[in-house]
Amino acid sequence: MALNTLEQQALAELDLPTRRPFCLADHLGAVRAVSVVFIIALWEIFGRQVNPLFLSYPSAIGRAFLQIVTTAEFQRAALGSLQVFAIGLLAALALGIAVGLLMGRYRLVEYLLDPYVYALDATPRIALIPLLLLWFGLGISSKIAIVFLSGLFPVLMNTFSGVRTVSAQLVEVGRAYGAGERKLFTKIILPASLPFIMAGIRLAVGRALIGIITAEMFTAVTGMGALLVRYSSALATDKFFVPVILLALLGVVLSNSVERLQRRLAPWKETERAL
Amino acid sequence: MAVPTDEQIIEQLQLRRERRWSIYDHPNLIRSASVLVFLLLWEFFGRETDPILFTYPTAVAEAFVKLIVSGELIKQLAVSLSALAVGFIASLVLGVALGLALGMSRTVEAFFEPPINALYATPQVALTPLLMMWLGLGFSVKVAVVFLFAFFPILINTASGAKNVSAAMVEVARAYLAPPRQILFKVICPAALPFIMAGVRIAIGRALVGMIVAELFTAVTGLGAMLSLYGNIFETAKMFVVIVVLAGLGVGLVRLTQWLERRLATWKETERALG
Repeated sequence: MALNTLEQQALAELDLPTRRPFCLADHLGAVRAVSVVFIIALWEIFGRQVNPLFLSYPSAIGRAFLQIVTTAEFQRAALGSLQVFAIGLLAALALGIAVGLLMGRYRLVEYLLDPYVYALDATPRIALIPLLLLWFGLGISSKIAIVFLSGLFPVLMNTFSGVRTVSAQLVEVGRAYGAGERKLFTKIILPASLPFIMAGIRLAVGRALIGIITAEMFTAVTGMGALLVRYSSALATDKFFVPVILLALLGVVLSNSVERLQRRLAPWKETERAL
Repeated sequence: MAVPTDEQIIEQLQLRRERRWSIYDHPNLIRSASVLVFLLLWEFFGRETDPILFTYPTAVAEAFVKLIVSGELIKQLAVSLSALAVGFIASLVLGVALGLALGMSRTVEAFFEPPINALYATPQVALTPLLMMWLGLGFSVKVAVVFLFAFFPILINTASGAKNVSAAMVEVARAYLAPPRQILFKVICPAALPFIMAGVRIAIGRALVGMIVAELFTAVTGLGAMLSLYGNIFETAKMFVVIVVLAGLGVGLVRLTQWLERRLATWKETERALG
C-alpha cells in the first residue's frame, strides 16, 4: 500500500506503528499446528504415566501399527470387512435408488410403501442386529444384511425427495416433445435428482461404515470390528487404536471421494437434505 | 341465439359435475390397505414358521401385554431413558457452550479444529470398547456413549450457527454499547438457534443409537440388554416388542424436536446437512 508523502509525514510525527500489531488470528495455520503438536505431546506424556492397560500413547500406537499391519491376520480382517462393506453398500445403493425413483414418480407405489419406509427409517437399525444375527447366523450374510439396511434408507429417502423436487415443467416439456417413460427417467428425472442422490450416498457411506463396525463388534468373529473387541478384551490398548485410526481414515477418504464424485457428476446444483 | 350459460353447456355436453373418484385422492386408504394386507400375510405365514426364528403380529401383541404387566418393559425403559437424558443434556450443554466459543473466535476454532475433526471422523461406535474398559458396564458408560454420539452434531451446528451471525447485527449491538454478555445472549444465541435446533434433531437420533449400542454391548440393563437377552434365548416375539418400542421412541423423539424447532426457531429455516 503506497502512502503519499503527507501521510508518511503524519505517521512519522505521530509515531504510529506502520505494521499491524501481532495478532493470533492472522496465523491460524500456526495455531492449528500448535494444537496438533500440543495434543500429541500431552497424550504422549500423560499416556506414559497411566497404566498401559487403560490408555496408550502415540509412539506406542505407531509401533503397534507397524507391527500389526503386516500380519496376515490383520490383512485378512481388513479385506473381509471391506468386502462385506462393498457388497452391502452396492446392494443398498441399487435398491435404494430404484425404489426411491419409483416412489417419487408413482403415487401408488409411494402410498403402498411409505408406511414401511418411514417406520423402518425411524427404527434405529442397530436394534435390528440381534434379529438379523438370529436369521442369518454369525457369518458374512448377516453382516451384509446390516450394512445393506444401514445404507438403504439414506439413499432411498434422498432419491425419493430428489424426484419429488424435479420441476413438473421439465417433465411436461419432455412429454410434449414425445419422450416416453423411459426417456423421462433417464434424461430428466435421474439427472435432476442426481444431487440429492449423491448427498444420500454420502450419508449412506457413513452409516454403512457404522453398520459394519457394530455388526462385527457384536458377532466378534471376523473383521475389523472383531479386532477391536479382541484387542480391548486383551487390554492391548496400543493395538486397539490401530483399527480405530484406520477406520477413521477410511471414513474420511470415502466421504471425500463421494463428495468429489458429486461435484463431477452433478455440478449444477448443491442441494442436500439434512437427515 | 342467446349465448348458452355454463350450466347449459354442462347439460348439453353431459359433463360430470364432480371429479371422478380416484384412488389417488385417498392416500390413507391405500396405506391402510397396504399395512392390513402385510399384517394379514405376516400373521398367516408367521404361524407356519419356526417360532424360534420368526413370529407373528398377535404373538408380538401378546408378548407386549405380558412385558407390560410384569413391569419389566417399563423398568428397563426408565433405565434407558434416564441414561439417554443425562447423556443428551450433557452433550447439549457442552456442545452449545464450546460451539459458541468456536464460532465467535477464529483462534479458538483453529486450536480445537484438528482434534474435533479427528474425533468426528472416527466412527464413534469403534470407541465403545475403550469406554467400556474405562467406565465398566454400569450407568456411566451408557451416559458416556450417548454423550459421544450426540456431542458432535450439536457442537458443529452451533459453531456454524455462531459463525453465520451477521456482522452488522453484532456491530449495531456494539454501537449501542451492549456489553459482551448481552451480545452473546441477545444477538448471537438467538441468531444461532435455528442451527442449534437442527443439530439437536440430528443429535437426538444419534443419541438413541448410542444408547442402544451401549446397552447391546454391556448387556446388563436397559432396552438394548433386553434385545440382546431375548435374542440369545430365542424369544423372538419379545425381541420384536423391544424393536417396536425403540422404533416408537425414535419417531417420538424426532417429532418432539421438530415441534420444538418450529416453536423456538420459527424465523429461519436454514440447516446444515450432517450425516
